[in-house]
Amino acid sequence: MNCPTRKNEDAEILLDYCAQSLSPLQTVEFERHLNECGNCSRLVEAQKEVWNSLEAWTPIPVSSNFDARLYARIAQEQAAPSFLNWLRRILQPPVPYSFWKSAVPLTAACAVLALGLYVKTPDAPVAFPQQAQQHQVHATDHVDIEQVEQTLEDLDILTPAAQSPTGSM
Amino acid sequence: MALIPAQPSADPGVKKDMEAVAALDRDAELMLRVREGDDTSFALLLERHRGPVVHFLYRMVQNPSVSEELAQEVFLRVYRSRATYEPTAKFTTWLFRIATHLALNWVRDGKKEKNQESLDEQIADGMDRQVRDRQPTIEQEMLYEVKMSEVRQAIDALPAKQRAAVLMHKYQDLEYAQIARALNCSESAVKSLLFRAYEALRSRLAHMAG
Repeated sequence: MNCPTRKNEDAEILLDYCAQSLSPLQTVEFERHLNECGNCSRLVEAQKEVWNSLEAWTPIPVSSNFDARLYARIAQEQAAPSFLNWLRRILQPPVPYSFWKSAVPLTAACAVLALGLYVKTPDAPVAFPQQAQQHQVHATDHVDIEQVEQTLEDLDILTPAAQSPTGSM
Repeated sequence: MALIPAQPSADPGVKKDMEAVAALDRDAELMLRVREGDDTSFALLLERHRGPVVHFLYRMVQNPSVSEELAQEVFLRVYRSRATYEPTAKFTTWLFRIATHLALNWVRDGKKEKNQESLDEQIADGMDRQVRDRQPTIEQEMLYEVKMSEVRQAIDALPAKQRAAVLMHKYQDLEYAQIARALNCSESAVKSLLFRAYEALRSRLAHMAG
């Protein structure tokens, strides 16, 4: 068997041995190991000492009026308005709600949503297809006008009036 | 509070629940009866678990009056949530989860410091009472008192979660899985907590050997 002093995972057997909660077979096996392992036998002795010290710690007796006080509190709650009892159930649950358990998937969903929005949003404002088409048309018109102006200038150069006044060759 | 004698349930839903928990434990069955409105079953549950819960809390907070106050709150919450009770685990696991939650909150809120002064006095009184009951000699009485004072201090010095784990393991005989549910952590975390706690106790109480 593995020595419980070498791995924390195996230390359970040591605690169970001192608590006498091992099966008879496990007890025999562990006692065989104890005979061979000085570390374990020292640890068991120390653990038994702790166990015995804790055993000797007897608690004080419960007050004789414990039940009466409890029933009085229950009766007081039952006599209170129902919305108060409802509030108590909400604000003082028997065991705490595991907010973090629901917070993990919620955070993951928010992260995915934020990532999606970031990816879908380009630097320029988003244009709808129809607007984009109009924008393209305007751009095309603008190029045409420039071309027309350029052409007109070229034509001016080519016309006889734009040539030298002498016009002689 | 009106105490009504326990009656077998006629409700098929409750019968089904009871069959489901029949193998689980008797306490869950009693709690299902409380859910139906049977206050006698609550009295039985109180009778069975009053001592263990008060003693667990006493060792956790080391103050008799606070431990009783917290124990009252535990049973009050059990009674308050009777209508929504579902036997998904052993009743004791649920009960000690409530007790641990309240005790850890009390420790976390720093109420411990406020009560420290009265604590020593009350513990000393308690010890005197316990020791006197057994009629030991003065020397035995003093030795016992010194020993118990060291044990209390050693337990008190443990982090609250380790303390709760040790107390449930040592005094309540709860299984690792039950302690894990009560502390809302994994079984391996409980084993680790226990190992570290007992290691600390071994080193603090080593001089008491022999």
